[in-house]
Amino acid sequence: MKSFRTTAALVVAGTIRTVLRLAGKGATNLPGKIALRICPSFLSKIAYGKNVIMITGTNGKTTTTHMISEMLRKSGYMVATNVSGANLAAGLATTFAEYRSRERRAVKNRVPAVYVLETDEAAFAKTAGELNPSVCVVTNLFRDQLDRFGELLTTRKCIEKGLDSCNARILLNADDSMISALQKDREERVIFFGLDEAGMTRNIVTNTEDSGSMKPSSDAEYCLKCKKKFIYTARSFGHFGIFECPSCKDHRRLPQYAAYCEQEKAPNDESTMILKKGEHIVRTSLPIMGVHNVYNSIAAAAACVTFGEEVGDERLTIDFCAKALPDIRPAFGRMEKINVGSKSFCILLVKNPVGLDRALCMVSEASDVGGLYLLLNSNIADGTDVSWIWDVDFENRTFPDRLYVSGERYAEMLLRLIYSGAAPENIRSAEMSQCEKLFEEALAACPDGKCLYVLPNYTAMLALRKYLVGRFRLRNFWK
Amino acid sequence: MKQSLRICHLYSDLLNLYGDRGNILALMYRAGLRGIDANVYTLTIGERFEADRYDIVFFGGGQDAEQNIIRRDWVGVKGDAVKAAVENDKVFLCVCGGYQMMGKYYREFEGEQIDCLGAINVHTVAQKKRLIGNTVYRCDFLNESPAKEVFEPQKLYGFENHSGRTFLGEGVKPLAKVLAGSGNNGEDGTEGAVFRNVYCTYSHGSFLPKNPGITDHLIEKALKNRLGEEYCLEPAECKTENIARKQIETCKKGLTRA
Ligand SMILES: [Zn+2]
Repeated sequence: MKSFRTTAALVVAGTIRTVLRLAGKGATNLPGKIALRICPSFLSKIAYGKNVIMITGTNGKTTTTHMISEMLRKSGYMVATNVSGANLAAGLATTFAEYRSRERRAVKNRVPAVYVLETDEAAFAKTAGELNPSVCVVTNLFRDQLDRFGELLTTRKCIEKGLDSCNARILLNADDSMISALQKDREERVIFFGLDEAGMTRNIVTNTEDSGSMKPSSDAEYCLKCKKKFIYTARSFGHFGIFECPSCKDHRRLPQYAAYCEQEKAPNDESTMILKKGEHIVRTSLPIMGVHNVYNSIAAAAACVTFGEEVGDERLTIDFCAKALPDIRPAFGRMEKINVGSKSFCILLVKNPVGLDRALCMVSEASDVGGLYLLLNSNIADGTDVSWIWDVDFENRTFPDRLYVSGERYAEMLLRLIYSGAAPENIRSAEMSQCEKLFEEALAACPDGKCLYVLPNYTAMLALRKYLVGRFRLRNFWK
Repeated sequence: MKQSLRICHLYSDLLNLYGDRGNILALMYRAGLRGIDANVYTLTIGERFEADRYDIVFFGGGQDAEQNIIRRDWVGVKGDAVKAAVENDKVFLCVCGGYQMMGKYYREFEGEQIDCLGAINVHTVAQKKRLIGNTVYRCDFLNESPAKEVFEPQKLYGFENHSGRTFLGEGVKPLAKVLAGSGNNGEDGTEGAVFRNVYCTYSHGSFLPKNPGITDHLIEKALKNRLGEEYCLEPAECKTENIARKQIETCKKGLTRA
């Protein structure tokens, strides 16, 4: 039974959302914020008895959430999902309020409904218990917004707390030593996904081992328990790989769900991808370029199959997921390529060192680069500390001749590029207020047939996106 | 003859958080402006510290877990050699955790007191609340530096993120005075420490990139040790660094007042 408070909260949230929508604003947080104020237990009441899948971790949440949503939609579910960034309690509450009537209609028509929610790590600690999901996906743990969390282990504790406050099946990244260790004392609930060993030796073109004296940073080189350096027999990127502690012998578990791409170099959006569930093998293709998207794909497939097992839906097999994958388009700000006449541009959100590292790696290897535009802001949503860009390996990347920088802290990015050896005369820079003009300049200078790669952090992306939505008549991101 | 600068990067495999790597890149870049070859030598757990092989030693910060891994090696394996090097005026730059470990002890929040190296007379007491935010300091000795036309040359810009409060003992001078942020302990308005040629700060990552004055000061000190007191670093411009410095001044909204 819903209480009066819950109903009141729903009505108010619904009204606010409608008003904000009419005013042309993406109402992704405010309605939920007010609903939670009226009824603090709003989430646990509204989510009671509903199908919920939660996705947390520092990187890949949005893409994994998007992939799970698309797969479930394809199999006939009414999927409710939150937009990128609205992943705190208020954003989750807004999602429930927003989908309320659609869900009712679905139930009436005997269409199953499911909430697929990307959740911030700190918010996960509190909301997992309230939403009581049937499946939780933990993508990975990289340094991210340390000005907010203080330390990486604090973030990990948030995730642990969330996992222990619900009964969900838990999908963990086997290749991330920080995450896979979360299986301890939760063994019967845990399922692993990861890159197949074949992928670690084939798909990885950037081996951190041979970058000379300035090794790029890695987040978890040592066993947390024994303080001994892990021995790796294969690596993918960052601290991902097949590791073993020489002392306690804690090691990477064989993932029940594994994937890799067939060719011998970095996977792109045309690569053939192999998905494995135990001994069962199925071929598909990788929908979005980059080895991190191989991880997102297998995490999403594993989540769907596990969800199917939980609710007794036998249609959700690994074969079904493999079939659904190739049609999935990138999520908001994650490698969307937008054609403008004979050229294109592509936006790639970069929020933390490993994200920027992966993006620079992809730009380095892409054959169609016609310019690189970096934007750095330092608002609270971005993290007020911009020094993380110094942890990223710019030194071992190849940059295009045309470089552009903007953002409220563009000078720090300019300095980073110049210290890495980029020629100052190749870099054009502009204040954030001029970021649109610089975009136009960069696009105009981009040769025909090539793509301008735009790498903003969060609030810089929102600002630029707003401009691009009008300029190129893109769909509004909250739709 | 072409000069060279030999940089020791302590525990680079473990202490690589908060952009501290930027400091090494800054030393290399600004040495390079003078045609000086900079070589970086990494030194990790189990390896002995041989002071004669380096002109300047960089010791960064990390998370508590990693610092606990390091502490035993730092005191037990490298300790005596490092102490001797400090007494012989070797140039060190120590940031955050590295700074704390140069001191006498570190008392955990509601925990035990952990012995550190004791190469400089400072000690640290941890508290629950972390001091996090952008910082500005005033450093008097930076008026004279081979870095030419630095924008507001005496100002140091940084970002702090620490739970330890450090207090300076006798014989140790603060590196700077806090203008914005918390500094050593959030109480006495001091930031960092200087003892002989050991320079310590709580300013994380891209401390040297944003502060070319102190970068050049350190390079010159390091080379004077080997080439003689009369050695002077050629002046060099700081055009790009100045853009970043000016932008911090205009972005001051992110700065917390002490
Ligand atoms: Zn171990």
